[in-house]
Amino acid sequence: MVQSVKPIPSTWCPGCGDFGVLAAVKKAAAEVGVPAHEQVLVGGIGCSGGIHNFLETNGIHALHGRLLAQAVGVKLANPKLTVIAAGGDGDGYAIGMGHFIHAFKKNVSLVYIVMNNETYGLTKGQASPTSRIGFEGNVEQPFDAILTALSIPAPNFLARTFSGDPRTMTQVLVEALKFTRANRGFAFVEDLSPCVTYNDTFKLWREKIVDVSKLPGYDASDRKAVFRLCLETMDAGKIPVGVMHRTAEADPSSGSLELKLLPDLVGPSLADLSLETNRAAYAKLLQSLA
Amino acid sequence: MTTPASRTIPIPVETGPGEPRAPRELADLAVTIGGQGGDGTLTVSDLLGRYFRLRHLYVYMSRNVLSRIRGGHADACVRASREPTAAIKPQVDVLVAFDPEAVEAGRGDLGPDGTIIYDSSVFHSDLPNAIGFPFATLVGGQVGQPIYKNTAAYGALSVLMGFDAALTRTVIESRFQRRSPEALEKNLKALEIGRKAALDAGIADRYRVVEGEAKGQVLTIGNQAVAMGFVVGGGRFFAGYPITPATEIMEYLMRYLPPFHGVVRQAEDELAAINMVIGASYAGARVMTSTSGPGLSLMTEGIGHAGTAEVPIVVVDCQRVGPSTGEPTRHEQSDLTHLAHLGHGEYPRFILAPGTIEDCFRLTIDALNLAEKWRLPVILLLDQALSQNTVTSPPLELEGVRVDRGRRLSPEALAQLSAYKYYQFTEDGISPNVPPGTPGALAQVTGNEHDEFGHVSVNPVNRVKMMHKRMGKMELAGPELPPPRLFGRPEARLGLVGFGSTIGPIREAQQLLEARGVATRFYQARTLWPVPKESLGPFLDSVDVAYVVEHNYTGQFAGLIRETMPAYHAKLRSILKYDGLSFRSPEIVRHITEG
Repeated sequence: MVQSVKPIPSTWCPGCGDFGVLAAVKKAAAEVGVPAHEQVLVGGIGCSGGIHNFLETNGIHALHGRLLAQAVGVKLANPKLTVIAAGGDGDGYAIGMGHFIHAFKKNVSLVYIVMNNETYGLTKGQASPTSRIGFEGNVEQPFDAILTALSIPAPNFLARTFSGDPRTMTQVLVEALKFTRANRGFAFVEDLSPCVTYNDTFKLWREKIVDVSKLPGYDASDRKAVFRLCLETMDAGKIPVGVMHRTAEADPSSGSLELKLLPDLVGPSLADLSLETNRAAYAKLLQSLA
Repeated sequence: MTTPASRTIPIPVETGPGEPRAPRELADLAVTIGGQGGDGTLTVSDLLGRYFRLRHLYVYMSRNVLSRIRGGHADACVRASREPTAAIKPQVDVLVAFDPEAVEAGRGDLGPDGTIIYDSSVFHSDLPNAIGFPFATLVGGQVGQPIYKNTAAYGALSVLMGFDAALTRTVIESRFQRRSPEALEKNLKALEIGRKAALDAGIADRYRVVEGEAKGQVLTIGNQAVAMGFVVGGGRFFAGYPITPATEIMEYLMRYLPPFHGVVRQAEDELAAINMVIGASYAGARVMTSTSGPGLSLMTEGIGHAGTAEVPIVVVDCQRVGPSTGEPTRHEQSDLTHLAHLGHGEYPRFILAPGTIEDCFRLTIDALNLAEKWRLPVILLLDQALSQNTVTSPPLELEGVRVDRGRRLSPEALAQLSAYKYYQFTEDGISPNVPPGTPGALAQVTGNEHDEFGHVSVNPVNRVKMMHKRMGKMELAGPELPPPRLFGRPEARLGLVGFGSTIGPIREAQQLLEARGVATRFYQARTLWPVPKESLGPFLDSVDVAYVVEHNYTGQFAGLIRETMPAYHAKLRSILKYDGLSFRSPEIVRHITEG
């Protein structure tokens, strides 16, 4: 057996919410049966973005905010790979916001986990796009990724989890992995992952979370109903969690970008580049100039 | 600009053609067509280009358009010659004007025997050599839509220049047959209207275009040749963002790539485009993106990431006037200094500069091979004129095409290794590679400094070794980079240095200088960075003085040569142009003879 890159000890603070995500990713991948060599984990910049270093996996440590663009490139080059992108709220919702919104539009089958701690931990506790008003002098309205995601009518999988509930998180990630491995589209999971050093919200969030899937009127294929449940939950001072949207399997609009572009899932990185195989087609292409 | 219906249709000829005279033979001719954007000037130029190619002449078509969909003055110039040419002809023989601005803009370039053909339904000209035809009115009345006035003008030109009537018609058919039968019929009608008007006016055969010997040539633009090179060179993943003058590359690839398991994506911005190609390359695909100045500025972040992470990418920069938005449709070569030192920090990159259509094709393939072998970013540097001007070229051939995947390991070769390290230290700095998805081999890449396994490292000893691993490639790869082409007399003491589209005007300037008894030798650089010392040194040794001809204010290539080859400082002179237009050969000659 060839020796290859091994996980290194984590660099996170003891008690960091991101440990919950690390454990859940490991368990979910094992439960779904993703071989390490077929998994690519694209990390962002920030504490959470180093997650691939702590796992037995292929990985890219992407530029700040650009992890989704790189993850899309990986998946479209080889749709047979299982692609997970993982980063923080600053990475995804501030510098990476353009790519975040377009990820729903593109609908490439990859799992995107945002570890939301409502702060910039690695640069020592500045306000982030999701920080509450008053945190570190923040006077701007906090951004809500789930409401935004629900407002984009794309066939995808949306969920919010909490690092204080690793069992549910594992279940959600298992679902998300199965969804993307079936080439059904983009799966977005926002995990509430407290920063124990600069914004320790474990206790607060445990009290505030409400699992919308247990509320009357919940139907994961009904965006309008879930949007209303989320707004009502937030109006009551609570934080909605759970699977927020799951395209019904029979939905005719369902269809990931990689399936539309590459119906046989043989992508650019598996294409036969040899001159011999392609000679006739190449000659035809060049002759089109004459 | 149409004529009100109430206006009386004027007689076809407003300015007398004069006495009949013997046809003037043209072996090298130029026609400029000017008008408002949307007047169809580019169509006339395309029709003429097709005709001249069928007469086996060499063709060079340049365009001068504004960055807007319609309106504003735009012109196109077609040159046809018995000799190969890739430059604008200094003197124009015929000027076709759809608006008065075309006359004002174009008459300065008109030769002494030149003729102006203009649309007299739009304006009137008193110039003695101007012949007016009410194209818009005639076509509007007989075809129903004045927009076919451009085809009528082509018809009048065909008579003026003694075109073969059947071949003139064939050109219309070849251009419009793929559109609707209705469009073809209307264009043929407009052609006859233009022909009849010119025959009635007695201006037939004022010129005669000689037959050429350039058989089997193709007519294309640099951007199309790049797209074809990408496919044939094994490129399979492309992401870009629309930007003038690079967009055609993406558009052609959208047509070409899908049958080859290829993927082309129009991204949300250049940041996404460059990062998508980085992700796809990491996953094992051969990749490319293309852009121009403003997009290049955005991609700079990603190119640096690829440089440190050792992910092979090819970036095409079709230069336009900068900085900032600059002049989107105009010509310049002012990104070179930026590219040579692109981004913060230090990492290796090669800059290749095609100068011809064939170069665009071959150097794209070279760029893919070099990027993948040396695992770094390769920049393919074009300029607006090379990207978008239409030129005759020998057909692009598969002969000599080679796909070199560098040190990509087979599963069997991988099994022989004791360890697979993405950043393994080797003598030449090139680490063996397998794509993710290969059993037994995991790879982690990062833009942070890293150890051989791709783990983040700030160890000073490791840092120095990694810097040597990456930067050493610049020295080692030198002999593999595209060699220059040398033109002219080996014994000449006067040297010329240039790259990109300036090759055409420089070679023409060589002929003009030769006619004045000045022998020259021209070094066409096809590798700009690292500065090709191995070939440039002996060239500079062989001359007393070398003029570096380029389209920028500061003399960027000359600056890079001075930076890396300071011993030649005193021999270098600059000939610079930065008005947004391509060099014309007499300008180069004037610089040299008048200083």
